[in-house]
Formats: sequence, structure tokens, C-alpha cells
Amino acid sequence: MMSVETEIRFMLNGREVALTVPVTMKTLAMLRERLDLTGTKYACGEGECGACTIEVDGRTVNSCLMYAVDCDGRQVTTIEGLRTPQALHPLQQAFVDHGAVQCGYCTPGMIMQARHLIENRPGLTREDVQRGLEGNLCRCTGYTKVLDAVQDVAAQRAAGCAGAGAD
Amino acid sequence: MTTQAIERYLAPTQLEPALVALTQPGGATVLAGGTDLAPQTEAGVRAYRAALLNIRRIEGLAGITDTGNEIRIGATTTITEVRRSPVLAEIAPVLVAAAERFASDQIRNAATLGGNLCNASPAGDMSPPLLVLDAEVELSRWRDEAVHTRRVPLAQFFLAPGKTVREPEELLTAVVFPRPGAGFTGRFRKAGPRPALEISTVSVALGARLQAGVLHEVRVAMGSVAPTPLRARHVERALEGRALDAATIAAAVEAAGEDARPIDDVRASAWYRGHLVRVFVEEVLNDVRGN
Amino acid sequence: MDKTATASPNAPKTLIGQRVKKPDAPDKAAGKTRYINDMVLPQMLTAKVLFARRPHARIVRIDTTAAAKLPGVHAVLTGADAAGLHFGFVRDNVPLKDKVRCEHDAIAAVAAETEEIAQQALALIEVEYEDLPGVFTPEDGAREDAPQIHDNFPGNRSLHFAFKHGDLAAAEAASDVIVDNVFRPHYVTHCCMGTSCAIADFDHKGKLTIWTQTQYPYNYKMDLAPALGMHPGDIRVIQPPVGGAFGSKLDVYPYEPIAALLAKKTGRPVKLTYTREEEFRASPTRQSAIIHMRTGCTRDGTLTFRSADVLLDNGAYTSWGPTIPVIMMRTTSGHYRVPVVDFKAQAIYTNNPYAGSFRGYGNVQTTWATAQQMDMLADQVDIEPLAFHLKNAQLSGETTPQKSFLRECALVECLQTAAAASDYSRKRKEYAALRDAPGRYKKGIGLASSIHNAGGAKIHKSDGIGTILKVDDYARVTVISGASEIGQGIDAVITLIVAEELGVPLEHITLVNNDSDIAPWDVGVHASRTTFIAGNGTRRAARKAKAQILAGAEKLLGEPAADLTLREGAVVRVQDGKEIIKLERLLRQMHFQAEPELVMVTDYYEPKSEPEGAAHSSDHSAAYAHAVHIAEITVDTLTGEIKVDKVTVAQDVGRVINRMGLEGQIEGGLAIGLGYALSEDMRIEQGHLRNACFRDYKLITAPEMPPVEMHLIESDCAEGPYGAKGISELPTIVIAPAIANALTNATGVRIFTPPMTPEKVARAIVEQRRQASAPQAAAQLEGATA
Repeated sequence: MMSVETEIRFMLNGREVALTVPVTMKTLAMLRERLDLTGTKYACGEGECGACTIEVDGRTVNSCLMYAVDCDGRQVTTIEGLRTPQALHPLQQAFVDHGAVQCGYCTPGMIMQARHLIENRPGLTREDVQRGLEGNLCRCTGYTKVLDAVQDVAAQRAAGCAGAGAD
Repeated sequence: MTTQAIERYLAPTQLEPALVALTQPGGATVLAGGTDLAPQTEAGVRAYRAALLNIRRIEGLAGITDTGNEIRIGATTTITEVRRSPVLAEIAPVLVAAAERFASDQIRNAATLGGNLCNASPAGDMSPPLLVLDAEVELSRWRDEAVHTRRVPLAQFFLAPGKTVREPEELLTAVVFPRPGAGFTGRFRKAGPRPALEISTVSVALGARLQAGVLHEVRVAMGSVAPTPLRARHVERALEGRALDAATIAAAVEAAGEDARPIDDVRASAWYRGHLVRVFVEEVLNDVRGN
Repeated sequence: MDKTATASPNAPKTLIGQRVKKPDAPDKAAGKTRYINDMVLPQMLTAKVLFARRPHARIVRIDTTAAAKLPGVHAVLTGADAAGLHFGFVRDNVPLKDKVRCEHDAIAAVAAETEEIAQQALALIEVEYEDLPGVFTPEDGAREDAPQIHDNFPGNRSLHFAFKHGDLAAAEAASDVIVDNVFRPHYVTHCCMGTSCAIADFDHKGKLTIWTQTQYPYNYKMDLAPALGMHPGDIRVIQPPVGGAFGSKLDVYPYEPIAALLAKKTGRPVKLTYTREEEFRASPTRQSAIIHMRTGCTRDGTLTFRSADVLLDNGAYTSWGPTIPVIMMRTTSGHYRVPVVDFKAQAIYTNNPYAGSFRGYGNVQTTWATAQQMDMLADQVDIEPLAFHLKNAQLSGETTPQKSFLRECALVECLQTAAAASDYSRKRKEYAALRDAPGRYKKGIGLASSIHNAGGAKIHKSDGIGTILKVDDYARVTVISGASEIGQGIDAVITLIVAEELGVPLEHITLVNNDSDIAPWDVGVHASRTTFIAGNGTRRAARKAKAQILAGAEKLLGEPAADLTLREGAVVRVQDGKEIIKLERLLRQMHFQAEPELVMVTDYYEPKSEPEGAAHSSDHSAAYAHAVHIAEITVDTLTGEIKVDKVTVAQDVGRVINRMGLEGQIEGGLAIGLGYALSEDMRIEQGHLRNACFRDYKLITAPEMPPVEMHLIESDCAEGPYGAKGISELPTIVIAPAIANALTNATGVRIFTPPMTPEKVARAIVEQRRQASAPQAAAQLEGATA
């Protein structure tokens, strides 16, 4: 029962990737099973929990709903693409510093979703951050320290003292 | 899990090859954002056709244009693009309000307006505002070596949950609505303690022109209280040409019970939906009156 | 209230009470951590389970021939392959079923080369069922003519419990006020972000290695063994990083022995993972209950008695759920000073899904009742509500009727602190007075408290923990603890304590993740015990190492050990802080001296507590703690939506060890309790779960989380590590009744069956108004069910 396959070519965490995927395969499965990038998580497969959040062409999407074939020609970033060899991304570091990681399963999705909340948003309120993360479920933290971490980085950005690290 | 009967995958950049594909034997399953197609096929409630047709790359199919008399929203415009559109913020904030309350950021970034309408959920949040804007959908097909287009008023587009008047060879290519007249005001209200990540229990949209305390060209639409999103004709009749006072509002609330035909399901009971619809009708009318 | 060290200029900065980062957080934030769900082993097969999807049936015929022949399928198993492999608390379960007793019974299982092939194989299995009449409530299950679910549990009767203290009739007669209600705490489920997953592999000797999310690796071997017909000693349990547990992994559930049976049959590693839908349907729930509770007091506000008659839906099999009466009775007898107690509970088998443990274990359900009845009584006595709570609050040194000894009891302080911080008394009065005033939105404030175990719970023969610790030639420390890190932060606590005792940097401490072949015994993560028990075990082991090191310093350098301590990677003099020798240098000297010494210590810590015992009359925990929540809400009286504006928490934590981790546990526990209170509801109808997805089973999301003002009360527990008590269940236990009490304060409506959804609240308000305008006497108002 083979699904027809097609070749795709796209930028993944800054490097070009080419592979052949079944047309019904979702990006989440492609990342985890074909590319050994397990940082992006399966937690519902239905776009309700955000654990599979990645960035495509500058916007976050649930990779469990995105057809892998639709990555063709696009720029994809996963959680593994955030840090440099020398340092965590400021958001990753803020999650560590603020105690926003407990079991950590939702953390990659949270961080990927939070990245755009922290850019160009002076005057970002707590409510803005809450709305921005409304599609990311967490069972461990009660969100409080996740919101603290994101607000902290956003405030630093707004004040112009951005940390080092790839974006 | 459904049998994968897909024989070919297409991702054209032009409209014609896409429309041709829809006429081929075996048909084509349209893929835009995938936010409905993916879970439905994974759950086995929807089967693929012979071709998987990705329309997301078709030039000119996305975007919001103000043509003067009419606003045109391309089918593959994402909900985020609706939400952030300066054109819509100025001309049709009621539609932006619905986009604000749609699922989550990740879904909004992928879901398309065309896909949302073709999915024809009774709870589809974008429908009530479009109904009060007198929207039409543009359906295109390939026939006789040419693109043929027809328009269907959105109020006639939905037939039943998951079913529309769109024929399998047709592609929804745009949603259009006339530029609202001066004095037009719109409201959108959706239920739930969560701001967005909710399948609507009930949603209500209102569009009308308020002039000297009297409502004209009243449009009221409801979601999740019938098999399809619908125009609440009884409520409209109770409001049209009437002074927007307490008595009119009470009559409109009463009439809501005649338009809404809610059911019991796992999300809410028929009683509660009926109750909320009345609450929301009263609320949006009071809000217009108060302004 | 930080208890930091003395004012001496040489006094070391203590780590106790500081904000310490979780050691595994960087890798988790980087997406680098391999959870069990991410693991792939060479030659690994994927397993899928065929679930019955019907609640009660005979299996007439099952034919797996076509499935077994499908290319890529390596094994197909059915109930015949599991005959006689009885497991479970009362041995009423088998890995693959001979008869269908609930919709998630595993009928067959497949191991194949890919998930897709396994799924296709399931579709090829032919099963013929004969549906039997089902039992869907405990009342129905208890009836004379009810269908029998298990052959050897006649009348569908499962566990029962009872505890009595004092003369109930006399106490009732002496009461001026009695409240009498039926509460129906409902079914919810854990919703761990990482779905259930197990990987099994047999070696050539027939020894099983199982990678599992279990929270109790050692007794787990004992519980898994009969499900496989093996000796527990031949089972190795490895705990990889997991995506949450919250009590769902404190028992053996069928998917685990199924993975092992498939591994045995195929000779290859087998991984079985649930989809989210399977997770909703097949993982254990929180135990639901029907609690008929009566509480009495005199006019002057002195409690006279509390009685509870509890009926439990056992579900199809017996896991931890029906054992919650052991804790329910502790709350019944110990929540406030209660002179007379009468508790009984009976569990009845049904064809519903069955319950395991879930954070708060029985106390969530009971406090839902006790804290609401306290609120009801508060309005009917002659003293102010807060005074009523204070009057009945125990003091340090009291013992409850079940012999829980409240050595350090901070309930009074928690009540006073929370009430003062939130201006409780004034607001409660003000909002009640405004109930009938016009206005769509009503404000309410509600108070609830509870008591919970905070020093483990001796419900097994042992409540202890083993710790192995070594310090190497570079002053790097390795800790091999029986404790399990499941996301709760015990890794941070353990490394903090080692750093504190041995004066080494946090980064120089390695904690070995749990592997039953390597790490010593621990009972497991439950009963809020881990910081208390593992903290004490770690501290003891670290101090043994420290003693050995300082004795080594004395021997090699001539300074008396009593004058020395360890600080910042060195041996220093206590008196002036002067560094005598770098620690790693000393360790190398100790190693290479004439009589060489390596620093390798072991410790076994058993807390001072008494076994539960059949009479339920013992000091079964080494400590107890209280928490008070005050919830401030705004109710939309038209839609019924409750918005929680703020929660004030006052909790007796004994002593703060890792401040950041402790806050995170309170916030997270509170969020779970909020979902319980407001939105989470398993809609089980005729044995079928109707809402097996996040779309329709509503967890609390980020916008719904209120601000939490936290007051951490340090009662300085003599038995606890540095004075600490266990903390993480109370936040889940207390919030729901606090909101229920706030709802009553705001609207006069009281809800007895959670969750307090908008629909339920709206209905109750509409009904209340209808009754108020009806020309008959006010009837007893019971919250409507959805």
C-alpha cells in the first residue's frame, strides 16, 4: 500500500536538504523518522497542543498538520536549529534560567512559538504572551515561568540588549 | 487509516493546471494549509482522491485586494493574513475579530480562508462575519478549454456539515464582499473561557447600518446552532427598520430562538446553545446601541 | 522567610532556599534530550494494540491468520498467549484479554517492521464478539441482578474500607448545625504530554530489559513479573527521560507486558507507543467517587463530627484508584480538628475505564467535599468565617483520630497569611451582599485548605531509599539515587544538596538516571515523598562522604576533622574559612597513600513512620503539611464563565530547598487542579469515552492561568531534609473547592459535581433564579449536571 513519493528540496536549519517522501507523510514524521530530529515532539497529532511547532518561511505551524511535500523550496527551522555550538539561543537560556522547564516535553514547541513574540514587540504585555502561547499546552509548569522567560527576553530585546546567538 | 489511493502529486504555480487536474479521472484532493485535511484523513473520515493537488503555490490565489466596490480575499489567504490585514482592519473589522479568535497562532498561519469555508463546519468561525458582509464565494472550473467562474452567495453555499454546493471539479478561488456602506457596523461574538483555541459552542455576528438610532440592512449570522452557519432571518426581521431600543432588542432575542436549531453534543447541550445565542444577540445589540 | 546562615563574615552562602537551575533543562530546551518516545534501538519492531472498543462482551472467535501473513509482521498475539498471566493489585488483569470488560481492553497485539504495517495488520484481525449487557454505574453494578464482570468477584464487589472513631450518634445529637450533601468528583485523566510508551528487549539468557515511564522501578519489577510469568530478578527496568507522569505510571498497565510478550516472541526489541486518542481511552484515570458527607458543629463553631459514605466506580480492573480511601479517610479524620469520625467506602466493578493514581490521590476528591462543607458551616455559626476555620485548625503537637502526629502544624499560619494577603474576610462579606444586586458580572472570593502527607506514606513494607555516592580524584561527584526524575525536579534538589554538603560546584555533580541494575531501592515517586525521602537519603550519603573526606584530611594533614568543613572545592577551617587544601588534591592524596582510600559511600534511609496497618490507625507519614488557597473570581452570570482573577497560596513547605523548583511545582499542580475545577471532564457514556482528544477534553491553556501570589511558610520540619516537607500534591488538591466556594460567594450557587463549566454554572444560576421567583418555599439547590 504505497503512497506515491516525490522528491523535495528545502532549507533546514540553514542547510539544504533533499529527500524523497511519501506524499501523505507529515512534516513531523519526516523530521523525526527520516531526519533524526526528535526535538520536535508528537503529543496529539491534531494541531491542538503545539508540541510539534516549527517555523516555516518565518511563521510557526504545527508540523503534524503540514504535509512534508509542502516543505519543498521553503525555509524550515526546528528547535535544533536555534542554538549555536557555543551557546543556547537566548530564549532557550531564559527557559533554563527561569525554571520554565520541568519534564520539558512541551519546551521545544513553546520556544519555537515564542520566538516571534519577542521580536519587534515593545510594550509586549503578559496577556500578549499568554495569547501568543494559547496553542501550546503544558501539563507541568502552569505556564507561569514560561511566560516569565518569554517576557524577560522580550524586554531585553526591546531595551536593545539582545543576547548573542542565532535567530 | 484510509488506503492511500494517491497516484500523483501536483503543486502548480498557475491556476489552469490546477483546474485541469480537478477534471481528470479519479479527481483531485485539494491541499492548502492541511489543517483540516490532515486530521480528517488520519482519522479515516475522509479519503484521498487520485491526485493530491497543492494549491498553495498558485500565483495570485492569495492576497486581499480592495477593488473599490468590492473586497476580494484569495482562497489561499491564511487566517493570519486576514487577522493582520490593514485593509480589513479598516473596512471589515468584524472579520478580523473572528480571525483573532480562530484556533491558535500555529493554525492561523497555515489555515486558509478557502479551506475553512470548503470544510463547511457548522462551527466555522469565519462564516458568520462573512455572512453579515454579504459575501459570495467564487468557484472556478476548467471547461471548454477555458476557466469558468461563477459566484454563489455564501448564504447558499453550505448544504450540510461538510457539504457545500461546490462541485468536485470546482475550486474555490476567492471570497468577495461588497464594500460596506458608510455607517456600517459589525460585531462578532464567540463563546468560551478560552480566547481562541475552542471549537465554537456558539458564535454570532451582526452587521448593520445604524442611522439616527434605527437599524438598516441588518444582517445577523450564527454558527454552531444549526447544521450550517446561517443567516438569522427572524432576528433580522425583528430588527430591520426598527429603532434600536430595549423593546426591539427583546424582540430580537426572542426571535433568535426561532432561527437557532441547536443540538446536544459532547461540547454543549441544545439548551445552552440556545441560551447563549440569546445572550449574544442581546449583547451585540446593546453594544451597538451603547456606541 | 529565608533561614540563611549566621551573620559571620566567613559564613558560607548556602544553596538551601536559592533558585537552582534544573540540570537537564539545557538539553531539554535545546531539543537534544532523547525521551523514551524518541528512542530507537537497532532492529526494533513497532507494536500496536487492537482494542475491543466495546464495554462488555464475550470473545467468540478471533482469527489472526491474515494479519500474521502480512509481509513485515513478526508476531500477532491474543488472549490465548496470555492465559494465566494474572497481574494487578488483586490479580484481576491479564495483558491480553479472554473477555471484554471495558472498551480499552487489549484483544490482540501486533509487532511489525513499521507502524503502518502494524496498523494494517490490526485491520486484518477478525474478531467475533457476543455483546453482553453492560454495567455503567457503581449503583447498577451493586444490584442483585447486575451482570457479573469478573468470575471471582461476586456481586461485582471490589475493595472496601472503613474507619470509625468515637460515638457518631452522640456527636450528631450534640450538633447544632449539620450539613449533609452528596459530592460527585468526576473522571479526569493525566494528559502527560509524552504518551504512554514502553520498549522491551530480551537477551540471550532470557533476561528482560524494559525501558519504561514507570515511577516506581523496583516494585514495578515485582508487579510486572506475574504478567510475564517471570522472576522479578530477571527484569531490568530503565527509566529514560519522560514527558510527565503525575501518578499514571505507578502500576503495570497492559501495554507494558504486551511489549515484552511481543519482544519474547520475536526475539527483537519492541516499542509500543500510544497515540493521543489511545492515551485518552486506555491510560488510567483519576478515581471518580460518590461521596455522601455529613459534617456537624455547634453554634459556637466547634466541629463535632464528620462522616463519609463513599461509593467508588472500580471500573473493569483494580489498579490504584479503588485504594484511595486510605487517603480519603485521612482527610475525613484529619482536615481540621474532628473529634468523631465515621468513614466507609466500597468499590464496585463496572465496565467503565479504570482508575490509577493521580496527583492528589483521593485527597482531591475528599477535600472537594470537606472544604465546601466547611464553607457552608461557616455561614451558619455565630462566629466569623475566618474565626471558624481558625477555631478548628489544629496546632503543632496534635494528633488526629487516625494517629497522624502533626509535629509541626502551620494551618493557622497559612489561614492567617492567606486571609490577610487577600483581604478575605472583608471581600467575602462585601461580595455576598452584592449577590442580588443588578449586574451581569459578580465577584467572589473563596477559601479552601487541606492537609496531606508530606513525609512519604508507609503503605508498603518500606518507604525508604538507597543512595550510592562517589567522589573521584578530580572532586567530581556521582550520585546514584533510587529516586526517579520525572520532570518534578528531584535532580535539581539532589545536586543542590550534594553541592551544599560537599562544597562542590553544581556542574561537577552527575546524577545517574534510574536503572534497576545500577541504582538502589526506592519506593517511587508518589505521596509527595521524593524531596523528603531522597533529600534525606542524599544528605545522609553526602555527609558520610564528607566525614570520610575530613577524616582523611585529619590523617594526612594533622588538622582535627571537627575543625574543618568543605567549601568552594576546598577543605577549609571552620573558624576563619582559611583554605587548607584543594579538595581534589586531598582526594588524590587519599587515593595514592600507603593505605589507599576511595570515597564511595552508601546509605539506606527509612523514614520514621508507621505502617498503615489494617486498622488505619498509625502515624503513616513522617510529616504532614497544609495549604490554603484563596481564589478570587469574576462570574459572568449570563454565560456562566468563571474567570479566576487571582489565587493566593499559603503553603507549609517546611523549608524551601530549591525555590524555583518549588514554585514551579505549586504553579503546575495548581494548573492541574484548575482544569479539574473548571474544564476537564471525561465524558464516559455507556462505557465509551466521547471526548478522546484535546479539542474536546479541555486542559488549562496559558491565557487561563491566573496570577498566583505565593506565601511559602517554613515550619521547619524536624524530620525533613533541612526542615523541608513534601509539597507537590497540595496545590492540585486545594484549588477546586476554593473556586467552588468563591462561586457560592459570588452567586449563591453551589456546585457539587465538577467541573464548573460555563454551561453548568449558567444552568444553576437560571435554575436558582427560576426557583427564587417561583411561589414555593426555597428548595434544596443541587448543582445540575451537564
